[in-house]
Amino acid sequence: MNFEAIIGLEIHVEMKTKSKMFSLAPINFGEEPNTEVTLLDLAFPGTMPRVNKEAVKNAIRVCNALHMNIDHELWFDRKNYFYSDLPKGYQITQQKRPIGSEGYLEIEVDGKKKKLEIERLHMEEDTCMQHHFSDYTLLDYNRAGIPLIEIVSKPVMRSGEEARKYVEKIREIVTFSNVSDGKMEEGSLRCDVNISIRPYGSDKFGTKVEVKNLNSISNIEKAIDFEIKRQSRLLLLGQEIQQETRRFDESKKETVLMRVKTDAVDYKYFTEPNIPPIKIDDEFIKDAIDTCPELYDSKLNRYLNDYKINDVDAKILLNSVEFADYFDKVASFSNSYQNIANFLISIVQRYLNKENISIKDFKVEPKYIAELVELLKSKQINSTQGNEIFNELCVSNRSPKEIQKEKGFILMNDDSKIREIVKEIIASDPSIAENFKAGKTRSQGFVMGQLMKKTGGKVDPAKANKIIVEELLK
Amino acid sequence: MKKDYLSLTILEIHDALVNKEVTPLELTLEALKRAKENNDNAFEIILEEEAINKAKSLEGKEVPKDKLMFGIPYAAKDNFSTKGIETTGGSDILNGYVPLFDATVIKYLNEQDAILIGKTTLDELAMGGTGTSGHKGIQYNPYDLTHNHLIGGSSSGSAISVASAIVPFALGSDTGDSVRKPASFGGLVGFKPTWGLISRFGLFPFAPSLDHVAYFTRSIDDASSMLDILAKYDENDSTNTYHKRPETYLSYDGNVKGKKIAVIKEIIDSIKDKDLLNSFNKSIEELRNDGAVVDFVSMDSNLLKAIYPAYIVISSSEATSNNANLDGIKFGPNYGGNTYEEVMFNARTKGFSNLIKRRFVLGSYALMSENQEEVFLKAQKIRRLIVEATNSILKEYDAIYALASPTTAPKFNESSDKLSSTYLIADNWLGIGNFGGYPSVTLPIGFKDGLPFGANLTSKPFDEINMFNIAKSIENHTNLKNVSTLNYKK
Repeated sequence: MNFEAIIGLEIHVEMKTKSKMFSLAPINFGEEPNTEVTLLDLAFPGTMPRVNKEAVKNAIRVCNALHMNIDHELWFDRKNYFYSDLPKGYQITQQKRPIGSEGYLEIEVDGKKKKLEIERLHMEEDTCMQHHFSDYTLLDYNRAGIPLIEIVSKPVMRSGEEARKYVEKIREIVTFSNVSDGKMEEGSLRCDVNISIRPYGSDKFGTKVEVKNLNSISNIEKAIDFEIKRQSRLLLLGQEIQQETRRFDESKKETVLMRVKTDAVDYKYFTEPNIPPIKIDDEFIKDAIDTCPELYDSKLNRYLNDYKINDVDAKILLNSVEFADYFDKVASFSNSYQNIANFLISIVQRYLNKENISIKDFKVEPKYIAELVELLKSKQINSTQGNEIFNELCVSNRSPKEIQKEKGFILMNDDSKIREIVKEIIASDPSIAENFKAGKTRSQGFVMGQLMKKTGGKVDPAKANKIIVEELLK
Repeated sequence: MKKDYLSLTILEIHDALVNKEVTPLELTLEALKRAKENNDNAFEIILEEEAINKAKSLEGKEVPKDKLMFGIPYAAKDNFSTKGIETTGGSDILNGYVPLFDATVIKYLNEQDAILIGKTTLDELAMGGTGTSGHKGIQYNPYDLTHNHLIGGSSSGSAISVASAIVPFALGSDTGDSVRKPASFGGLVGFKPTWGLISRFGLFPFAPSLDHVAYFTRSIDDASSMLDILAKYDENDSTNTYHKRPETYLSYDGNVKGKKIAVIKEIIDSIKDKDLLNSFNKSIEELRNDGAVVDFVSMDSNLLKAIYPAYIVISSSEATSNNANLDGIKFGPNYGGNTYEEVMFNARTKGFSNLIKRRFVLGSYALMSENQEEVFLKAQKIRRLIVEATNSILKEYDAIYALASPTTAPKFNESSDKLSSTYLIADNWLGIGNFGGYPSVTLPIGFKDGLPFGANLTSKPFDEINMFNIAKSIENHTNLKNVSTLNYKK
């Protein structure tokens, strides 16, 4: 019997706002434990929440990217439960009225576009971080209160591949909109999977299994593929699938049981009484959307259609939001887009690899890269000189033209002068031209070598070659 | 002191300070002396050293024009966060908790250079109406030297401290009637403003949708003057209203000509005490003589009887969530345990009294998903119906007027029939003010057997001045302005 998998994802995205969702505590990841905390984050009696406007803007931007309906009134609810990582004894979330509802995103599977529907997007606050030791637990409240958005898909995915592409798309949206770092390995993007299987053609759902602890996108795909096999095997053996929570064991590459689900916890939701409903007008929403950093699809469209960059290069530039941003900055100084792309993808990327740094730590000002690309494109310098200038640029970060002047990298622009020297070389030995005409192209290289020697390398090879051939054929 | 300045109103004390008849230190030393001598159990903690230091720092200074409260001693209920001063909310679960910040209203009073002389006793975590459930034991009505009568709660210690003229003013909080009811039993002006007008930041939450910062004074003018100081906008409380505040709330003359006042017939009908009713009727006649229109209007008695059950459900539900932060992990006593569950269990088992636990169980029950529709949401619907019915009266009238309580302060061992109309309606109608967030003020209108009793006015949101105006007119006839145990003559 063949089975169809029904997969739904819940994704939590940690926002990188300046301060927390409901308090003014600053957010700088990686600080000393319990240093980015206000009294509200510790739930001191009498402290009260204040909604972070920037977080609302972020949520609107992601809603918009996911084609969602955006609620014009913000409502918050309390989710009540006791746990050591929850300082207030409740989490402020948006249970009844999420800011975003009924959206979708598109992925491509086997060359075909597929629309994946999204049920809801809501804002909430993170819990504190627990560090468990053998006989005690330490609590770090730096994370408590960091704004989160939770994105809940409908159960519309059918394979690990689809789920992977869905998460990739979400990550692309939250990183390009600058809402989040979107790093699964660091927990700024977390994904829980709900998966059940049923015989093809059945309209009933099977028992749902939840998989947690997925710390990379590829693990999501692996975990789902494993789960589909595991559940299929159980059903074929005539066994029942238990409603349970499992985690992905990275070393074994399989899911393992965490706990069997008994009755679900009753969170006793009710409307947060310390935050009145907040009206958001069209202008605020429009502004949030208009000022949203450009998303992947729009950038790709611009690179391909406006900048005429080839498809492969455009996608390489878009591999990371930082790289694309750097490209855009360079492109604001020069419209030699393909040349810039080539330069970044080859020369700059090679440098980054060699230095083992990311583009974020690349200190050369974009305008200098644009200047260097222009020097190369207009053949005022050759590629060897270009490399040398680039190396110097990486050290001193100053105008390539200045470096060019200092190093004396001035190409001879005067064609007649070049032609004169070429003529001299050819005239010095009649066999050169004879050999060339007889088909020995080596002669051409010889003339070029001599030319370079005589001019100290100050000719553009392409231009020189043209002249050499013309003269040899005379 | 040459004269008993603490028995004067705030406005009078202020003038005496301006005229240098008395100094902040003299006032403070006298207030501290009275606080220490008080045997009605008014104080959680008396701040002798802090208050004297503060008073000394003010000595010799001119009283600034914009500081009405300069050098005037006051007390605050022990559920207001006070920086560096232990604040327990009357509960063992917060024993030893020393807040790191001042509640906004405490901050405003500090800025005024008012002098906090003590934190007052209360029903545990402000849940209760009797002044008997706090961890410091029971509070006594200062008008009854035999200690048989209660003062009421939950703001019991604050009521005692103003009624006994220890201070001219004290902060309380009002979730159901926790200031306005003890005001009736203590012969005081007890006022709560429109919900959202005074910042609740730093007030320990009981049920935020019903909670109000409220206070006791001994005159209507003091109550309106205090509002100028306390009603300032505060961004720390997201429910604090943007509504524009008037230049001053002390802008009325007590002229009620043409004012329309509604007396809800069903409330008055549920009261049995003839003496109280006579005083109340007399006050109605006085209002009419002054030109006010006083009409008896009707409100569905089933709705009125539902106030208390709806209140208990909503307040307990919110309370169980608001107090979930008290888990022994972050502050307050930690009774140990091998797991986080044990730490929480031990702290909450030992830290809360059974009455509180009962409310938490009730609130949890009401919020459980299988009960929420039938209990919590139904209570919310009832709340809405009551507010709608009240709004329709207040559309026609400037204020609703009734006795604040069906009796004078009950005895400790007196048990009321919890299903009687008297209890369900007359003893609980003040909750309407919390349901709708209406401004509401209780003021004394009479004494019976040496115990005071009050009446209450409740008005439209943001209609404080209009309400104070009517209250002032009533006060003018009672001869009970600024009454205290020290100046009351039988």
